[in-house]
Amino acid sequence: MITDITIGQYYKTESLVHRLDARMKIILTILFVVIIFLCKNYLSLALMALLTVVSILLSKVPFKMFLKSIKPLLLIILITAVLNIFYIHKGEVLFSWWKISVTTGGLSTALFMAVRIICLIMSSSILTYTTVPTLLTDAIERLLSPLKVFHIQVHTLAMMMTLALRFIPTLIEEIERITNAQKARGADFESGSFLQRVKAMIPILIPLFVSAFRRAYELSFAMSCRCYHGGEGRTRMKQMRLRWPDFLALGLFICVMAGVILLNHFFGAVI
Amino acid sequence: MESIILETRHLTHTYAGGTSSAVTAIDDISAAFYSGEIVGIIGHTGSGKSTFIEHLNGLLKGSNGVVLLEGKDIWANKKEIRKVRFKVGVCFQYPEYQLFEETVEKDIGFGPKNMGLSEEEIARRVRTVLGYVGLNDSYLSKSPFDLSGGEKRRVAIAGIMAMEPQVLVLDEPSAGLDPRGRTKILDLVRTYQKQTGCTVLLVSHSMEDVAGLASRIFVMNKAKLAYFDTVAVVFSHAKALETMGLDIPQITKLFERLKENGYDVDTGIYSVDAAHKELLRLLEGGARR
Ligand SMILES: Nc1ncnc2c1ncn2[C@@H]1O[C@H](COP(=O)(O)OP(=O)(O)OP(=O)(O)O)[C@@H](O)[C@H]1O
Ligand SMILES: [Mg+2]
Repeated sequence: MITDITIGQYYKTESLVHRLDARMKIILTILFVVIIFLCKNYLSLALMALLTVVSILLSKVPFKMFLKSIKPLLLIILITAVLNIFYIHKGEVLFSWWKISVTTGGLSTALFMAVRIICLIMSSSILTYTTVPTLLTDAIERLLSPLKVFHIQVHTLAMMMTLALRFIPTLIEEIERITNAQKARGADFESGSFLQRVKAMIPILIPLFVSAFRRAYELSFAMSCRCYHGGEGRTRMKQMRLRWPDFLALGLFICVMAGVILLNHFFGAVI
Repeated sequence: MESIILETRHLTHTYAGGTSSAVTAIDDISAAFYSGEIVGIIGHTGSGKSTFIEHLNGLLKGSNGVVLLEGKDIWANKKEIRKVRFKVGVCFQYPEYQLFEETVEKDIGFGPKNMGLSEEEIARRVRTVLGYVGLNDSYLSKSPFDLSGGEKRRVAIAGIMAMEPQVLVLDEPSAGLDPRGRTKILDLVRTYQKQTGCTVLLVSHSMEDVAGLASRIFVMNKAKLAYFDTVAVVFSHAKALETMGLDIPQITKLFERLKENGYDVDTGIYSVDAAHKELLRLLEGGARR
């Protein structure tokens, strides 16, 4: 049910990818997105797919976890593919009926897009599976810290994100508890029309919000009691340091990028 | 002999069954509860008390075993499970967090409304149970969020009582309350039971609370049913209870010590009255062995 959500879930194990610096992993993920949008033909796309597979193998996260992360987005992938098939009219016509026609160009674009989206999802899943959420927000904070020049409260934003992530499991647990309590009073969530079912959520939502606000107050008091006063002058318990594997990974990505550009150049574009 | 109202046979439940993190929270529990009795359910943290009571009204379904309400398997007809919940009213730990309506009256009426009762009947029940939990009619129009913690707790309990269940299950109703709040809750459970004659199962960490209220005690230890007997018999296993991380009441402890020191006393003593009588008997007899 709700506990099936895998995005943003850390998968605990020991691996090369887990040990990489979180900042570097974020940069590499962004780089990956950029490169995959540079891809213009199947060869360069294949190179990116290879990179994805290699990263997955190195991360030692079971492959079925990645399938699980694609599942919720399967519909979007399918819709994109179908739209591409019908809207792109290039190449030979394979099939046509009334105003609809399917062309080889359309099919190939659809396939290309699908692979691209799957690679995108998988690469961002690698990031979240191999990085503890708190470390992730910490890294985002550091990467965004230059924005302080524009008076953007990077630290506050990062802290908010950390707290939000921290409280997701707590809230899920809370939802289960409240649902049980209301079921014990005969609340019925399973039958009735759509409107009735939405209405049946009220006895869950109100206590949930009340308790979320209560927790927020308690947390803010607890933080003030420990003299939390924002990011200024705050030191860190865990220092982040770039090591040689981080640079190696960066080097690998840059090589792949060069490869993609070369393949694009020499083998022509499909898209 | 009274009749059996609720019974479990070989009830077992495993959380996350089949995975590496599987936890058997209750293991092969067979017990029968008679109508009109008060049973205290005690056990160390994590011994499976909450899991057990979630089976009694069909919120959880055992991976093995059955729950019989008036001799019928509660899961015999899946669609009827809501009816079971009206007959076995379960009030969870910290029930005040389930309040949601604008007024106390509406919140207490939530259960009866789900039962499909008429407006008049709901209004009658709400007023009756408000009396049981020791609140007056001026509370009816208040917002449940404006009450004190103890009052919220009582309103939440009233919300379960309003369904007029045959079995009322309370999970740690006095947790987190001050001593006076605790006695108050326990007193109201006692009066409620006397007036309605229904069966009450009371989950608690505190032996003292249970001793003063229940006629039988159900002791859980590491997912298993350790003892299920009258208060005196259970307390006579003081040593075993201690190894389960449970404490017998202070008074019982005192009599244990007296016995250890050679006085001929009964060790199944757990109320001040009984202690008084026993001490008088001892002083009059004056027998030191
Ligand atoms: N939703 C769940 N998923 C997995 N394990 C659970 C779940 N709920 C409880 N458990 C486990 O089952 C065991 C029994 O839990 P339970 O809540 O029934 O204990 P309890 O006796 O009510 O404890 P307490 O006195 O602290 O309320 C515990 O080991 C707990 O970790
Ligand atoms: Mg419990």
